[in-house]
Amino acid sequence: MIRVVIVDDELPARELLREFLAADEDCEIVAECANGFEAVKAVAQHDPDLLLLDIQMPKLDGFEVLELLDRSPIVVFVTAHDEHALRAFEVHALDYLLKPLSHERFQQVMERVKRAAGHDRQPVAGLATSLRAKPLQRIVVRGEDGAIQVVPVSRLDYIEAADDAILLATSGTKLRKQQPLSEIASQLDPDRFVRIHRAYVVNIERIEKIELYAKDSRVAILRDGTRLPVSRSGYQRLKELL
Amino acid sequence: MATTRTALSRGALALYAVAAVTAAAAASSSFFLWARGASAGLAIAASLPPSLLLGIIALASRFLSNALPLRSASRSSIAIGHAGSAAAASGLWVLMWKSWVPALNQQFAAHLAPDYSLLFGLGVVLYIAAVAVHYLVLEIEALREAEDEVLRYRVLAREAELRAFKAQVDPHFLFNSLNAVASMCGSRPLEAREMAHRLADFFRLILRLGALERITLAEEIDLVQRYLAIEQVRFGERLTTHINVDEGAARCMVPPLLLQPLVENAVRHGVASMVEGGTIDITATLEDHMLRIVIDNPADPDRADARGEGIGIENARGRLSAVSEGRAMLQAAEAEGQFRVVIELPR
Repeated sequence: MIRVVIVDDELPARELLREFLAADEDCEIVAECANGFEAVKAVAQHDPDLLLLDIQMPKLDGFEVLELLDRSPIVVFVTAHDEHALRAFEVHALDYLLKPLSHERFQQVMERVKRAAGHDRQPVAGLATSLRAKPLQRIVVRGEDGAIQVVPVSRLDYIEAADDAILLATSGTKLRKQQPLSEIASQLDPDRFVRIHRAYVVNIERIEKIELYAKDSRVAILRDGTRLPVSRSGYQRLKELL
Repeated sequence: MATTRTALSRGALALYAVAAVTAAAAASSSFFLWARGASAGLAIAASLPPSLLLGIIALASRFLSNALPLRSASRSSIAIGHAGSAAAASGLWVLMWKSWVPALNQQFAAHLAPDYSLLFGLGVVLYIAAVAVHYLVLEIEALREAEDEVLRYRVLAREAELRAFKAQVDPHFLFNSLNAVASMCGSRPLEAREMAHRLADFFRLILRLGALERITLAEEIDLVQRYLAIEQVRFGERLTTHINVDEGAARCMVPPLLLQPLVENAVRHGVASMVEGGTIDITATLEDHMLRIVIDNPADPDRADARGEGIGIENARGRLSAVSEGRAMLQAAEAEGQFRVVIELPR
């Protein structure tokens, strides 16, 4: 039995998937979700075999949902946007369905799903992270209590490396996320975020001034008074941008 | 392209002007000499050099004409400027006669002496004629530039129209709506049929209104309501709408499909970005000959992609300024999770 979670913010779209799945006696719907938050929760709770996932949804889009999953069901994107189709394969979704949905195509995809079910799969989360659209516009963070936070990059002051994780600094608060600094640095808009030091990426709009601290050593002073070290190569990168 | 063409014709015109004034001066003065008893050969030989001089001076008078434009310079400065230079030019031309003719034929020069005042008059007349031609050319150029300008604005307006029309029909709206139709076919066939008709009516109306120059605000609001009724089926309880248009405003003329893309923005980037949905509020009022339309909708400040909205708003702004010659205004602002577009269009 294939256990399925349906995610779409439009009721008629969910109804159609429900109808198609009802005709397939190998499938069972374990949850229906109307947004990304519900989807992340439902996958954690039900550990489904298959996730039928819409892409454009409020709060969390389909790609962000994948990034936040700690289990890896088979993923099939369901979308009216075929420009997303290519990216669906990049994040190792099994396949995609275009709206309006055709029953024939749905059955073909389900055949693929059944063949793939039971095989070992690569975890989707890591792949989703490394192949997201660039530049990154929002960063999703899952707290230790499971609460999900969405941080638009425009609200970031700077990012600090902390062991194998990063701290996202936004107006005084720091959010911890399990991700290497180099990975997130490569996804951010290079015209707005600069790696000024081995351990720091800064939002250049937040920089008030750069001061000479000692010979060959500088410090960036942010609008809120925060002082961040600037390495020699970091200073070169800053100069090139400004 | 246009500037090259003008520059070329200016150079050609200058040559023609020298040639014309020279020819006119030479012809009239040699006829005059011939009438005074000079042989034809002598008449032509005597008149050519002074005529060429007058031709060149007449050409130079173009700079003076440029400096004293008919539209902006005062009449007295134009009159004094050209009278002075006409006298000076004609003086030079007579001086040329006085030095050139004796060198050619002493006897005839003595015979001609009393007629220099007549030649002076001729010089003044030809110079003034040249000035008149310069002003004519300047006026023609100004007219052509004005025409080019009008043409440029028409092309810009037309481009804005085309862009706006393309922006109308978001294919994803169609795909998602068709998906809703497909969904209802199984369980609610009558509603599915109804939805198919609504979609067809909406697209027909878009095509019909899009072809018109101006429509009433009432017609535009009708289109918007049909659009929202279709979206209502997809979004259900998440989407509510309030539309309030006063009677005077409803009769105002607006460019077609002005509000439709803005309302589409309000749905796609506004209500659709909210988990719990929200209300789209449209009000239109007419006060002191000013039509004021306000579209309000909630929007998630953290939504991912805000680029599409900007394009829709720029298009609407471009069309508004094209139809109102810059007198209309469109403002878009976002604060505390509310997005608001305000349009003011003088009636």
